[in-house]
Amino acid sequence: MTGAAWRCIEAAACLLEEREREAVLGDLAEVQGSGWRGLIDVLGLAIRRQAEPWKSWRPWVAGFGLAWPGSFFLMGVSLSVSHGVRGLVDTALHPGMPITSQSVSLLLIHLLLLIAWAWTGGFVLGRISRRTLWASILLCSLPCTYCMAEFPEGVLQSFCLLLFLLPAFWGVRLGMRGERVRRGFALALAAVPTFSALLTWRSGSSLFYALALVWPGWYVAASGHKRKDRQA
Amino acid sequence: MLGEFEYLILTAAAGLGDKAYGAAIREEIETATGRKCSLGALYTTIDRLEGKGLLESWMGEATPQRGGRSKRMVRVTGEGANAAKEFYDSVMRISRGVAWVADRSGGTR
Repeated sequence: MTGAAWRCIEAAACLLEEREREAVLGDLAEVQGSGWRGLIDVLGLAIRRQAEPWKSWRPWVAGFGLAWPGSFFLMGVSLSVSHGVRGLVDTALHPGMPITSQSVSLLLIHLLLLIAWAWTGGFVLGRISRRTLWASILLCSLPCTYCMAEFPEGVLQSFCLLLFLLPAFWGVRLGMRGERVRRGFALALAAVPTFSALLTWRSGSSLFYALALVWPGWYVAASGHKRKDRQA
Repeated sequence: MLGEFEYLILTAAAGLGDKAYGAAIREEIETATGRKCSLGALYTTIDRLEGKGLLESWMGEATPQRGGRSKRMVRVTGEGANAAKEFYDSVMRISRGVAWVADRSGGTR
């Protein structure tokens, strides 16, 4: 086996977990077979390992039931919060304009909705699709990239669409670590997006869409008593 | 019931005893069957067998000819031995009297 072939095999083996990489590279070094076969072996194993979690429902639900549709919804809420904040700043800068309690309460509701939903969504993603998180991130980033590219020039910047990322990444981090969520806190996390959605959209397809996406909160609430759930 | 490849791995591992690890099992299977055995199939099947409690595996010693890398050692459990025996018995029972078995044992049809 040539040095170049071995370097290719070592590079491909980076796709494997540390222990497996050690065993596989050791086996290939011991056998001294052809570089091509060694590379096929390592890539074949890496593909099998990546494909394994997709036999479960979890990565599919995480990607297509949460990351993809949730990103559209959360970009909308992020934009709404940004508009609300912008409105308050304008009002503060122009003392003649009145601050209505309705605009403040709507901003607070949307802010709560944004933080609670993004956090629970991220938490559930981290918990149920740890090994396929890259796919969920990809499915979330595609709509984000498109919407940012199409974002009209105006008073708001396109990054306002991505306000949800901070609580979402925080949730993902805790979900991946298998952190325990106390039932009371989990119930509050589930209730906030549900009631916020009901208060914001009293009827229509937006309400249906929003309610269809509150399941992560209730999933966290239902599994709140468990220390660790099975990971995909 | 075991699959054919699962049976081959269990049998090769049992035959190798304390020296059963990835490369050695692969060589045994390739020699016995005359077919190529991919590392991907080997290691994912070892994982599956371990998940069923039919095998145990652990990281063993590192040797110079492996570039100082550890081996993934494998041992057949009691349950694994029973499953392999059951598979073997089934194959022997169903093969009784068929042409290729009769031919091999001297053409007593």
